[in-house]
Amino acid sequence: MIGSILAAKIDFIQVSTLGLRLVPTLSSLTEHCSDELADDLGALVRAIERLSSAVNGGQTNRHDLLNAVAAVKGYSEMLLDSADEALIPVRDQVDEIASALSQTSQTPESLPATSRALDSLTGCSILVVDDLPENLDLMSRLLQKMDCDVITANSGRDALSMLAERPVDIVLLDLVMPDIGGREVLARIKADEQLRALPVIMISGQQDMDHIIDCIQIGADDYLLKPVNSVLLNARIKSGIERKRWHDKEEQYREQLEKREQFIRQTFGRYISDAIVEEILEKPEGLKLGGDLRNVTLMMSDIRRFTTLVEHLPPEQVVLLLNRYLGKMTDIILHHGGTIDEFLGDAVLAAFGAPSESDHHAEQAVNCAIEMQSAMADINAMNADDGLPHLEMAIALNTGEVVAGNIGSERRSKYGFVGHQVNVTSRIEDDALPNEILISEQTLQAIDNDVFEVGDSRTLNAKGMEGLLTVYPVIGVNLNG
Amino acid sequence: MASSTVLLVEDNDINRDMLTRRLTRAGLTVMTATDGASALDAMREHQPGVVLMDMTLPVLSGWEATEKAKSDPSVAAIPIIALTAHAMAADRERAMKAGCSDYETKPIDFPALLSKIYLFLGANNT
Repeated sequence: MIGSILAAKIDFIQVSTLGLRLVPTLSSLTEHCSDELADDLGALVRAIERLSSAVNGGQTNRHDLLNAVAAVKGYSEMLLDSADEALIPVRDQVDEIASALSQTSQTPESLPATSRALDSLTGCSILVVDDLPENLDLMSRLLQKMDCDVITANSGRDALSMLAERPVDIVLLDLVMPDIGGREVLARIKADEQLRALPVIMISGQQDMDHIIDCIQIGADDYLLKPVNSVLLNARIKSGIERKRWHDKEEQYREQLEKREQFIRQTFGRYISDAIVEEILEKPEGLKLGGDLRNVTLMMSDIRRFTTLVEHLPPEQVVLLLNRYLGKMTDIILHHGGTIDEFLGDAVLAAFGAPSESDHHAEQAVNCAIEMQSAMADINAMNADDGLPHLEMAIALNTGEVVAGNIGSERRSKYGFVGHQVNVTSRIEDDALPNEILISEQTLQAIDNDVFEVGDSRTLNAKGMEGLLTVYPVIGVNLNG
Repeated sequence: MASSTVLLVEDNDINRDMLTRRLTRAGLTVMTATDGASALDAMREHQPGVVLMDMTLPVLSGWEATEKAKSDPSVAAIPIIALTAHAMAADRERAMKAGCSDYETKPIDFPALLSKIYLFLGANNT
């Protein structure tokens, strides 16, 4: 009965005899070689003994016999892979055993299909690429039996232009074609952002196995050997489409996440700078309350006599006026790396140098203030067109240490700045004239005097604060400085 | 994302030892299971990059284990290469239908098996 197993390709009794004859030599080798090799040789000896008892036992089932054969073959090949010189005396015999057994690994794919029913692949669109019309015809017939939508291309060039035009679910690609061959088509599909996930099954003859392995390495999903077995074709298409479905699902999920993140960015980005949004998204644990002592330049601005100006305007006009003004100022402040702490009606409190640190926060702030003042001309031009009042803004800048961080309660907190310097800035702002940028002594010391030009100093009596404050109006910027 | 570990499911001790040696020599990290039920547990717990599944297994056969794995979203994406014991087309087809990504017939053609393992491990990592 043993002879009938595996289509009588191998005389197991002969292999087992060959093996048993080799056992004493193998065993004696183990005494003069490395531990690792001795271990491998011992394993082969055990496998040969098991094969021999399976062959001679008569009681063994086919499964046990196959396992014994597989083990002898595997260990033999493993030993042949080794470059150990200790093996030289037995190399030929081991090779003889391995090659006798290796005949079983020839498993032609074109074995007759069983009578099992093919799965319907309704709604699945397949691109078949082959340069031979008879192959295209045969494949189309096979696929139509599975209810697929089949489109065909008779060259690699044709296939690529079809793929650029319409989506398909899977591609069956002949390996050997003139002009652009299967490998090249595959490489282009895998290099294309849009097409990369498309499953590709290579079709080739047994003799092209090396090329198939090459194709698998560059991204082919599967392969089929000619002549194509319809049941295998059916199963492989199904499995390819299944994989694609998983991939698409994953992709969809990723897109959803991205959308949500974008939404969060946009929503928060209206109020806080991108730097803070980034910090929140990257490390949500940073949202916990608490702060650091930071050296920053604070900015406070407001529109002079705003309340009086809008007293008689209808509410929607006031909102239009404010949104136009604050919208523009927000853009400019965020552009210069500032962080807006809050809007209080027409007043803005912002800071430079936190949360992202900067060595030039004072200069960033002065540049920002200059741009804000120049933007007023545009805003006022638009206001004039809409019959809205002319606005004049005053800006105060002050540099010093504040506590910066998430301030508030667990339920409601925001990134903000507190400290004595905030009050000082507010005091300077009170004294700033319309259209003026008034900076403190500390800010002046922090900026490059060759770049910025300041006017005569003024002294402010800061109520409730230590002594007098010296402040300077910024009157120009030397672009060549 | 996915691990580069190979889970070898094989009840035959000598073959398990042989394949473990050869796969390890080829530079792969190998873990083993000896029946279908413990294979499923190992897949869920360790999320191997690819599974080599002998189809004739005790407790839970390779066929059943594969079907269970493919209907469990936590491990469905792990490729399974069936190691079928018989050189019969029906078994290979059955393996593909059960959800295996590929198959090899015993005795194993080791270079072919390796290239399939690399294919699936590579596909996971792109």
